[in-house]
Amino acid sequence: MDALALLESMMLIRAFEEALMRRPDHGFQLLSSGEEAVAVGTCAALTSDDTLLSSGRSIGPALARGLEPGPVMAELLGRTAGPCRGRGGRGHLAQPSAGYFGAHAVVGGNLTIAAGVALAWQAEGRPGVVACIFGDGACGSGALHEAMNVAALWKLPLLLVCDNNGWSVSTPRAEALAPERLSDLAAPFRMPSATVDGMDVVAVRDAALALAAHVRSGAGPAFLECVSERFATHSTATRETRPQAEMAAILARCPIRRHAARLEAEGTLTEALRAGLERDVADTVADALRYAESAPFPDVADALRDVV
Amino acid sequence: MSSETTPPVSKLFFAEAIARALHEAMSRDPRVIVLGQDVGRYGGPYREFSGLHAAFGGRRVRDTPVAEASMVGLGVGAAAAGLRPVVSITYMDFLLLGLDPLVNYGAKLRYKTGGQLGAPVVVKTTAGARGQGVAHSQCIESWLVGVPGLKVVAPSTPADAWGLMHAALQEDGPVVYVDHKRLFPTAGELARDAVPVPIGRAVVRRRGADVTIATHSYMCRVADSAADRLAALGVACEIVDLRTLAPLDVDTVCESAARTGALVTLEEGQLACGIGAEVAYRVREKTGTMRVARVGALPAPVSSNPVLEAASVPGPDEVVEAVRGLLRP
Amino acid sequence: MIRKLAVPGPIEDVEELRVLMWHGGEGTAFAKGDLIVELETHKAIVEVRAGGPGVLRKILCAEGGWEKAGRALALVGDDPADPLPGSTDALEACPAEFDVV
Repeated sequence: MDALALLESMMLIRAFEEALMRRPDHGFQLLSSGEEAVAVGTCAALTSDDTLLSSGRSIGPALARGLEPGPVMAELLGRTAGPCRGRGGRGHLAQPSAGYFGAHAVVGGNLTIAAGVALAWQAEGRPGVVACIFGDGACGSGALHEAMNVAALWKLPLLLVCDNNGWSVSTPRAEALAPERLSDLAAPFRMPSATVDGMDVVAVRDAALALAAHVRSGAGPAFLECVSERFATHSTATRETRPQAEMAAILARCPIRRHAARLEAEGTLTEALRAGLERDVADTVADALRYAESAPFPDVADALRDVV
Repeated sequence: MSSETTPPVSKLFFAEAIARALHEAMSRDPRVIVLGQDVGRYGGPYREFSGLHAAFGGRRVRDTPVAEASMVGLGVGAAAAGLRPVVSITYMDFLLLGLDPLVNYGAKLRYKTGGQLGAPVVVKTTAGARGQGVAHSQCIESWLVGVPGLKVVAPSTPADAWGLMHAALQEDGPVVYVDHKRLFPTAGELARDAVPVPIGRAVVRRRGADVTIATHSYMCRVADSAADRLAALGVACEIVDLRTLAPLDVDTVCESAARTGALVTLEEGQLACGIGAEVAYRVREKTGTMRVARVGALPAPVSSNPVLEAASVPGPDEVVEAVRGLLRP
Repeated sequence: MIRKLAVPGPIEDVEELRVLMWHGGEGTAFAKGDLIVELETHKAIVEVRAGGPGVLRKILCAEGGWEKAGRALALVGDDPADPLPGSTDALEACPAEFDVV
């Protein structure tokens, strides 16, 4: 994925979430704003052979993976035109046919599932990488240890990507996790690992490419920690606990502005080009909203559909 | 044996019935794999996976770390991605460690993805009291029956152990297959032309006109002993083996209870929110009024102390007493 | 004198077991301690050894066959010429030793 495409993908996520926040009628949402570079950089290292699982903070991962914004918006607004017919909603987006195996909103809950998907792919001799994005909050769970252990033992094609935004709802990382660097958790399992600046999409992409190449070679799992910033509250329904002064510094680290500035400095991005990208993502988001809002809510008669 | 013709039935131990079903399923379907503690060369805690490692190798019959959350998670994830794993959780008590991937992911996967994915995994586990103490003895199948998307089966005979394993492996979603420590010493006949036991179908094990005993798993044998003693007292018991706990075959219990006019439920687990409570309520819903009594464990942990273990789980005495109490004019 | 070789026991949990292998056929003579038959429970092999000398006269439960604890597996005699009785009900059990391995 070229540098401009990285920028556009991040801009789409931001614009999409801004539009979504103007539609509070379908309950709270889990936003990826601030963490766009983690999703976009990771997905830039994945191919159509690969699949992605994520935590419930899934808008960034889903859009970065290339899911159509219209159906994603429909899913988040509870409409049947969503890939999960509006049943998964926030936290449970999924479209396996598009390389997005899905989100799962139990913290750490997708880690052993991802290892299982990787086990199936290994058993079937499929060539792809199974990537799983999870938060720093999941690093305190036993599921991560268990998943890393079997993945390393059995050389499963699993790329673990920790989106370390520093917060478990209101609890700061330092009060929840003992290790200094979360990528150090991979060390005893002898899997290659890296910690990168998760606000730098190029750094994330390059590290993800290198680690994905290791996984793709059949040598087993790898672990990438991306240190990011959560711009919004944990969910749109939770309270902000960070002081305003601190928030200003956090928002100043915007991964989109940072990447755009780099491209401008390189001469790749002009004012006109940027305005064009902004128009394009705004149009895409407007189309997505129209698509979603024109689709119906599920029929209550379908409440028992696909239960067993 | 030097018989000239193949007999129409063969007799086998309970564990052999499980191993045979798995051997047949694995021969037929490369998607079936076995994951769990001691399932490989060791052949399973109760030899129920005997011969599978030799026949299918360590990649399809795979020993796992003793880490039930990942064992179930691996099975559910691999099922979602196209395999048909059987995950062995040695004792049902340990299934608690694996409930998150089973309940929060596997059981909800078809629903939450709008039918895009399913998790056809069989979690096979062993319940029941047999001298192993407070955290190796529990019958907690009733905890599972209220989970939408989850099926629960509990065979009581080798034929059903075979037939329900085959049926479970043909499901599109997760099935918890609960066997019992005290059933492994038992043997029984399996017809050569047996077919899978349909999930959701109970069976009448013993005919009798005076009272219906609805039960499952090892308690079917306890019910049978009680029925022998009651027969000597002139009371004829009908025993319904539920076989599947989710979905429950309420109709078969209702038909029997409508005939006998009295229903005793019997389970080795706790009575509070138990299988018996569910069966009794649903039978009453359908039949209007019904004399009902429940028999189950004392509301206490199951000790490894043999005196306390025997005191805490139901035996024939409690069943006889419950039946006589219910039928007392 | 004809006696019965019975399923030994009690063995904990075992109600019924399966004949795995006869070590010898009808007419085989054995001495004290000789392995006569191996039986299978749900989790172990039971080796049944002669408690004294004798001759295996008639096998009542063939390999692969099942029998319950206490029931006759075979008839054994001291003299190969002794006539075999029609029923095993009244027969004494012959001395035997067993190991669960």
